[in-house]
Amino acid sequence: MNTHINSDFAPDALVIGAGIAGLQSALDLADQGLQVLLVERQASIGGHMIALSKVYPTLDCASCITTPKMSAVAHHPNITILTNTEVEGIETREEAHHVRLLQKPTYVNFDKCIGCRLCEYACDTEYPDPFEEGLGSVRAIAVPFTNAIPQKAVLNAEVCGTCGTCARVCPTGAIEYDQQPRKLTIRTDAVILASGFNLNALTIKPQFNAQRSRNIISPLMLERLLAPHGPYGRVLRPSDGKMPSSIAFVQCAGSRDESIGVSYCSRVCCMYAIKQAMLLSGALPLADITIYYMDIRAFGKGYEQFFQNAKAMGINFVRGKVARIDPVDGGDLSLRVETTEDAENPLQVRHHDLVVLAQGMIPGWQPAAITPVACASDGFIATPSLVAPTITTAPGIFVAGTAAGPKDIVDTIAEAGAAAMQASQYLHQKHSAILVA
Amino acid sequence: MTRIVNTSLMRKIKKHGAGRNLDVSACFNCGNCTAVCPLAADSGGFPRRVIRMAQVGMEQELLASEELWRCYACGECTQTCPRQADPAAFMAAARSYAIAGYDFTGLAALANRSALGNLAVFAVFSAVFSALLLSRMNPGHPNFPLFDFLPGEWIHQIGVALFVVVGLSMFSGIASMTWRIWRQSRSQGATLHFAALPGAVFSALSDALFHRRFQQCEAESDAEVLAAQPWYQRPWLVHASVMGGFLAMLLATTLDFLLKPIGSTVPPWYPMRILGTAGGIVCLYGLSIVLLRRAQGKEHPYKKSSFADWFFPVLLTVTVLTGILSELIVYLPSPTTFGHVVFFAHVVLAMDLVALLPLTKFAHVLYRTLALALFAWRHAPAAAAASVGVEA
Repeated sequence: MNTHINSDFAPDALVIGAGIAGLQSALDLADQGLQVLLVERQASIGGHMIALSKVYPTLDCASCITTPKMSAVAHHPNITILTNTEVEGIETREEAHHVRLLQKPTYVNFDKCIGCRLCEYACDTEYPDPFEEGLGSVRAIAVPFTNAIPQKAVLNAEVCGTCGTCARVCPTGAIEYDQQPRKLTIRTDAVILASGFNLNALTIKPQFNAQRSRNIISPLMLERLLAPHGPYGRVLRPSDGKMPSSIAFVQCAGSRDESIGVSYCSRVCCMYAIKQAMLLSGALPLADITIYYMDIRAFGKGYEQFFQNAKAMGINFVRGKVARIDPVDGGDLSLRVETTEDAENPLQVRHHDLVVLAQGMIPGWQPAAITPVACASDGFIATPSLVAPTITTAPGIFVAGTAAGPKDIVDTIAEAGAAAMQASQYLHQKHSAILVA
Repeated sequence: MTRIVNTSLMRKIKKHGAGRNLDVSACFNCGNCTAVCPLAADSGGFPRRVIRMAQVGMEQELLASEELWRCYACGECTQTCPRQADPAAFMAAARSYAIAGYDFTGLAALANRSALGNLAVFAVFSAVFSALLLSRMNPGHPNFPLFDFLPGEWIHQIGVALFVVVGLSMFSGIASMTWRIWRQSRSQGATLHFAALPGAVFSALSDALFHRRFQQCEAESDAEVLAAQPWYQRPWLVHASVMGGFLAMLLATTLDFLLKPIGSTVPPWYPMRILGTAGGIVCLYGLSIVLLRRAQGKEHPYKKSSFADWFFPVLLTVTVLTGILSELIVYLPSPTTFGHVVFFAHVVLAMDLVALLPLTKFAHVLYRTLALALFAWRHAPAAAAASVGVEA
């Protein structure tokens, strides 16, 4: 793994984003003998997937799939990784893409850091751990998470008090408080955008009052609660550490809702809610679990069977969109919903002690203003061709995964492979054209 | 029970909607509107069920649902609707459709469906009343007292005839609505107890008079929206002032009719005169807020306005204004031609207002109160039985 590059480094392809899509695209290109630069905004590669507990519909462990891929990328001779690096823009001229990068300071010299974590153990400043979705805490200088790649400490300058402890305990003198951001421009022939997704805010629907209760949580928080190496090691609700006994999943809480400007379906929420419900019924065998849904969209291979299994396991499925959530005594939540399949008594107020809002998937990055690619009306990168869904409006720039629209892991990996194939085909045509000329 | 499906029901209701973009077909029946509604709690569930009736063409069921009238158009459903299908505007359109549905003459349908139809009905009524009045007008001297210019006796005779016709029309509308709801509830196996009827009527009347549900509707809707409105501009208060002012004027006119000798002149401090004038001013206050809000078109329930939404308050405003002007003119030493014209206009417009009562948006005074009473009645026996059960 090479992390030292200068502007004269010219890879065949540059992959933006090192989530599961970027990892797969980079591997598929590098395995064909092409030189790849993989750029990641976060301190570790792995994206959202490395933080998940298990994947549907197989209930395989998510990190058991992602970690080997991360490792393979890290050890691949044809792949260079730049973490903590943002893409500031792409200019296309002289038949090549010039990608402007901003490498942010980590205040740790990666050449010297050996990942021993002595600095992390010595540091006495803590802040809510972003990897644990704020549920646990992490030191101001730390390796991002257990299986992070690179295994290097990163200092969070926003919370660090520069007390100097880490510099004193570091056995290799890797701490550099005076590190500066570094700008560099990379010339490359092909770019794959795998910039992924974000979730819209828990508070996006004022009627859900998410700001008034810590027991209204995001699905990614629940992933961490369910993960074997999660923040508490078991499922406890955030406000008081109580073991929840009645859990509600509120579907379409941030998508399929024009009143908040997200009219499309996020495509993964039905399935991950079912998966989380199954995992919860394992973790909390006595808990009542209810999924409030508008439609169950179980469209993938094996998904419908998964849904039917969940019903057979005793998970309650209630058709109706929850309209209002109000905190009540004891940290519980009261949900107002029209149970649309109940002819007798449709309007119901139900109490739960933990509520998971299925937030909407929104683009993780806004490339339209700073790159030649266009975005569609939903904000995701436009893919005009139905028969080549990884081709963007800009020649030589391809897209993979949720950067092009909401999709699940299976579809993302398939698309990442397709994007790599399109990119390598593009490179071959370009190179042979140069040879002919 | 046989159900008759009217496949063009949705298309018809849309014609009654405000603007061309009533997109209620977009509704995917998630139930958000019902669950977010501050008023849906104690009934079968609206607006979604009513929207569903329209979507699948259940015209009879739609016309037999009191739910239409239990909505006070706070707009909470429209603000949060995931499909932006505008349930509040749909409910308003469906109420307009129901007003047309309860009227057997077809005039209500004509008046509610389009601006042109509305104006046509208005023009025909105005022409009829004008012709009737003109037939006995004393064209002579411009300084004639008003009731010499238009004979008071004749106005009264037309008025009595008008009240008889409108009364019959209202009765047929009430009968139509009651029959539909009765049939519907019988098919659902409900039993009605006549002992519970007075209580139900009383609760509906007090609801309507004191705007209880209207206030409840606002109390639970979006706090931000409410905070932006001063108390004297809250929709329920605005509506209460229009209604209260109108009732005061109606009472004053009725008492005048019964007690005051026709054509006699009374001093300005005559109690009925004071009542009428005060009512007119309160009514004008409410109407001016309504018209201002509709013109701004910024917030619910004034965001979208159909022609009928404009027509009724404008008609009422002009009627009250001409009434107050006529009142002033009475005390002038010699009424001018202008005075005669204003008085003539006031008499014609007041007659229009009465004639249009069962046909336009005005009919909600009838149907909303009736629906509230029927709803209370239908749900009373169960409550009574329950309380007896507890005591036993």
